[in-house]
Amino acid sequence: MAGVLEIQNLQKNFDAVKVINDFSMDVIELTLCCLVGPNGAGKTTTMDLITGRQKPTSGSVTFRGHVITGENEQMIARRGLGRKFQIPAVFRELTVRQNLEVAYSHEVNALKNIFSFSSRQCDARIDEVAEQVGLQERLAVIAGTLSHGETQWLEIGMVLMQDPALLLLDEPVAGMTEQEIEKTADILNTMKKTKTLIVVEHDMGFVREIADIVTVMHMGSLLAQGTIQEIETNQQVRDVYLGTEDH
Amino acid sequence: MTINPYHDKRLQWVAYAIFFALLALVPILLDDAFLLNQLSTFGVYGILALSLSLCWGFGGILNLGQGIAFGLGAYGMAMTMQMQSQDIDTNPIPPFMLNNALESLPMIWEPFWNTGTGIFLAVAIPTLYCLIFGALMFQARVSGPFFAIMTLAMLSAFYTVFIDLQPYTNGVNGISPPMPLEVGSLVVDPYSTTSYWIVYAVLLLSTVVAKLLTQSKFGLIVRAQNNDPERVRFLGYNVAVYETLIYAISGCMAALAGMCFTFLTQYVSPSQFDVGFSISIVIWAAIGGRGSLLWAIMGAFIVQGAQSYLGDEFLNTWILILGFFFILVVRFLPGGLAGLVELILGKLPNMSKQQKSPGEKPVDKASLKEA
Repeated sequence: MAGVLEIQNLQKNFDAVKVINDFSMDVIELTLCCLVGPNGAGKTTTMDLITGRQKPTSGSVTFRGHVITGENEQMIARRGLGRKFQIPAVFRELTVRQNLEVAYSHEVNALKNIFSFSSRQCDARIDEVAEQVGLQERLAVIAGTLSHGETQWLEIGMVLMQDPALLLLDEPVAGMTEQEIEKTADILNTMKKTKTLIVVEHDMGFVREIADIVTVMHMGSLLAQGTIQEIETNQQVRDVYLGTEDH
Repeated sequence: MTINPYHDKRLQWVAYAIFFALLALVPILLDDAFLLNQLSTFGVYGILALSLSLCWGFGGILNLGQGIAFGLGAYGMAMTMQMQSQDIDTNPIPPFMLNNALESLPMIWEPFWNTGTGIFLAVAIPTLYCLIFGALMFQARVSGPFFAIMTLAMLSAFYTVFIDLQPYTNGVNGISPPMPLEVGSLVVDPYSTTSYWIVYAVLLLSTVVAKLLTQSKFGLIVRAQNNDPERVRFLGYNVAVYETLIYAISGCMAALAGMCFTFLTQYVSPSQFDVGFSISIVIWAAIGGRGSLLWAIMGAFIVQGAQSYLGDEFLNTWILILGFFFILVVRFLPGGLAGLVELILGKLPNMSKQQKSPGEKPVDKASLKEA
């Protein structure tokens, strides 16, 4: 299976600080790759570099054979990369349905959207996604009033509405209760049958439930990559990361 | 699944229909030319408040320089009307230019010989200006207070330029075309029902377009970028294009308002570019409720109406009183009068179905009577 996303020798410097230092990784189609690492390892910066929010100092990101480094956020998004943010970013003043409707970004041309009022495909897709993330009863609710867990699911739902080939999820279970984490794991396990996912996560229990491949970052570089078993037995990883947690 | 009536698009259209039906009764019931002219002017202010509500209330783009598009439209119309009373053979140059020692008609005035071209330019130039200025700002991701300050700076620039270009604009004195506007065989007498109906049509058209825009996918994305522009970008939309378009559409409406203003007053001056005037547009929209198109229009009616009738009583203190109410609204009623109506209806126990409908006062009133 081909690599859907290839990161080669990525480098990002803030003045003299090397936040990302010669980082490379390949993501295989239809796998769920967890990106883990201690605070400040550069996980979120890597996400920013992939999605165009920040420009790398050097190195390249290739998505399905196209070099996407240097493109802006919307161009990269249109290529089929969806992103969920670390701090849930939903449109708080809009209803859940409207949030999903905005996220249905098959038509991005502003002039065409002026004359677009409702679309049956969009409505059908909203029902489908709402069911997938368990928000079908909450569609009429203003997003700002959702609970934290629901907000996280809504944002996952929004990324799904976009129908991207590759989803980047930044800490999808941060602040969730045990039941909510379980439900999210179910959602992600269903998703990875049809999508490629990169998930940034701290919670090793959650990683164990969902990951096909685990990539460990440390100080902006790749520390180790492998299955969860390989990573958990890797002494280097234990030293810098797992050792600090209650394992 | 319950549907909030605030999002019931059909109910909102009913409210707007009642509002415009009431406005249509005015020239039928009213037999006072002066009052009709004044109400027409209020209609112009209504268009301005509506245009700002679209840009600021829905798009989150605070434009403190709405007077630019208004003024350019007004000058375009004044130039068209002025040229109607000039003769290409015997008297081609407007009198004020002769006073300023101009010996030939300036190039920029030439297209205004033709009424159709003049009217087209009066709306096209301000719209084009908004497209260019908006694209420059929004591509660079200038937003929020920074954008507001830029619009204010541009407004002051226009004010100064129009005074300084005395031979072309007659400076502070402005242009006062001697004759009413004539379009074909139609004479737009400022004190006639004709001019009222023209303003009415422009207000109606602008409102319908604005309402359709807010209910379209485009409008939804504009509201979404008001919440979180970065999120919208990551969904694949070019936010700058959306911002530029809503800003330009709003500017186009303001230009139309400016054109109406000129044929109603037969006068235009740099005071259209005055900072105070553009700020009052913001105040109308804020007091009425910038989140509701209908209430923004009402805000203009209420504030300007009060100024006309109470302003005489209070003279110099009027601006203080207005400022006081503005502070009250900003502090206690961020949704303006629309928010107040929303609050009151929300407190009525049996009215829970209607509670979230700030833009629909007429409907709520009607259903209250039935209840």
